[in-house]
Amino acid sequence: MDNFTNETMDTRQLPQFETVAFESLQAKYAWVVFANLMVRIVLLVLVPLVLSRIKPELFDSQLWMILAVVLPVLVLFMSLISYIGFKKKGFAFRNHDVLFRNGIIATNTIVIPYNRVQHLALHEGILSRYFGLATIEIFTAGGSSSDIVIPGIAKEQAENIKQLLMGKIQKQL
Amino acid sequence: MRTDFNQPQRQSAVGVLVMFADTLQKIARALWPILVIWIFKFDELNKVYFFSGAIAVFLGIALVAYLKYRNFTFYIDAENEELILQEGIFNKTNTAISLSKIQQVNINQSLVQRMIGVYGLEVDTAGSTKKEGVIKAISHALALALKARLMEVEKKGITDDKNAITADLMSEEERPFIKISLLSLLKVGITSNYIRSIGLILAFFITLYENGMNFLEQSDFDKQELDSYVNQSFAMTTIALLLAFFLLLVLVFNVIRIILKYYNFKISKQNESLLLSFGLFNTKSTIIKPERVQITTVSQNYFQKKMNILELKIKQASSGEKEERKAVIDIPACNKIESNAILMLLFDKLAVKGLMLKPNYRKLVFALFLSIVLPLSGFLGFGYFVAPSILEFMPFVPVYVIFVGSIAYFGFRNYRLFVNDDFIIKQSGAWDIANEMIVPEKIQAITSSQLFWHKSADIGSITIHTAGGNLSFQLGDFTRIKHYMNLWLYEIETSDSNWM
Repeated sequence: MDNFTNETMDTRQLPQFETVAFESLQAKYAWVVFANLMVRIVLLVLVPLVLSRIKPELFDSQLWMILAVVLPVLVLFMSLISYIGFKKKGFAFRNHDVLFRNGIIATNTIVIPYNRVQHLALHEGILSRYFGLATIEIFTAGGSSSDIVIPGIAKEQAENIKQLLMGKIQKQL
Repeated sequence: MRTDFNQPQRQSAVGVLVMFADTLQKIARALWPILVIWIFKFDELNKVYFFSGAIAVFLGIALVAYLKYRNFTFYIDAENEELILQEGIFNKTNTAISLSKIQQVNINQSLVQRMIGVYGLEVDTAGSTKKEGVIKAISHALALALKARLMEVEKKGITDDKNAITADLMSEEERPFIKISLLSLLKVGITSNYIRSIGLILAFFITLYENGMNFLEQSDFDKQELDSYVNQSFAMTTIALLLAFFLLLVLVFNVIRIILKYYNFKISKQNESLLLSFGLFNTKSTIIKPERVQITTVSQNYFQKKMNILELKIKQASSGEKEERKAVIDIPACNKIESNAILMLLFDKLAVKGLMLKPNYRKLVFALFLSIVLPLSGFLGFGYFVAPSILEFMPFVPVYVIFVGSIAYFGFRNYRLFVNDDFIIKQSGAWDIANEMIVPEKIQAITSSQLFWHKSADIGSITIHTAGGNLSFQLGDFTRIKHYMNLWLYEIETSDSNWM
């Protein structure tokens, strides 16, 4: 009891989550994002093409004009969103919590303290596996809005992170 | 019986059948429109193609089922005390569930499972809505052994707890410390839930009206005549009378609904928990355990303030069963002293409103934009370009603007976040003013969010995630929000506080 002290704490000296340097996703993951984008674009272009084969009477020159303007804009927009979404995603593991940043027009930063993590999951999509990437999902008891999904992490790193987190969770008990 | 779960193992071999049935069901569910068409056009189909196609599909499903079975393994990592499930044919998933986090293990049997004599086992933690771990086909003995093994860790900590609950239920002694009188229920009935009752009554009348119209049309009634009769004779008085009648109906309906639901509302104290029982025809009872309470809401409107009643809503941590997840416990009416007594029991101290955080004026501007500018420009645009007849409703526009505008204004004025060491309180609402309270220890995760054009104005939003739902505050001073976030994170991370 002798060495018990209870000094006033300066809360402004606390570690600040906003100054943390975020690690970005693996550059290879951009290919996965790109492939997903391509699939969507191909679908987008294919639908009117197929429709015009089945029901040619619906497609007059005016509609083709509109499509010719709208489709490229849409494609550009989707590509931009994919690109920004990829660029903005970042994660950081501190001693006591994990941070994940994402968002396109807003910057969202979600922080989960390790002692609130419920369980973990590691996913490998078929394309990600080809690039040696994995996705880590971190669950809390706060429902799906408070779960973190970090895609595009190198497989070994993901395994390490998983081990690290499992260790942290165990230690809390 | 003691079985070793430390080696990855597959499910029972007959489990392939379960996978088969499962996959078949999934495909059938996805493709049922096509299947229906095929059935109707059965005669026109080329039988050879059809049957060879069907056989191919069945073989494909069988192959998928077999691969699913082959690739699904489960084991318990004894070293880390976690249950590991590996699954997936192309997309591999590896789920690790820490044994200590397991809330519930259910063993159940569907029809298919019963036919082939295997059991399914579901592992549930407090996390997301779906079951985290599902093993579809294992023998009963194995299921029981696995369940016993999974629950081992939990038992150590929780046995006392469980006993306590059962003891509670057994000795249901009648010692209500709060009883809500009929008078209080009457007060609540006439002062709250207008919108809900109006909605219910409107729905009722609309169905009635539609049925009536159908009837009139069928019975060759001269509709034209009826319409003009109604329009000309007593337009204004009828409307006024109807309105008054409608309001009265809402009140009566409200009172009846509240009394039916909450008649004889009793709260009694049992050890550390609160036991509620209420209801006129079917009596319900629920238990509130203080350590599981996540968000507590106290709400009151102007009339209720004058009558000294307020409403308490308590959200507990979800624990597995779906019904419980959504359960918000509602204490419809109590006075200030009673509510303080309840809050004392839940928190051991009274909630004091701490430092105040106001929203930026942009919050109001945005609310006005959404509720007035957008609908009005839609209305005017539609009126000028598409259907000029709706412009006859122009006189109602100022009424709408004043009504909605004042709601937005009061909503903005009441929108506050109060923070002190023990409580985070969010106040909101235009008419019914709600105070949502949470204790920092209950926080599961925090999200901060900022639109890029708000960076220079230094405003942003925060969402606090708890096991009973989220609490968010928008467009506040972002520097202070970040400061609180750091503070709460520090508090959570340095203490082994129990959130459930």
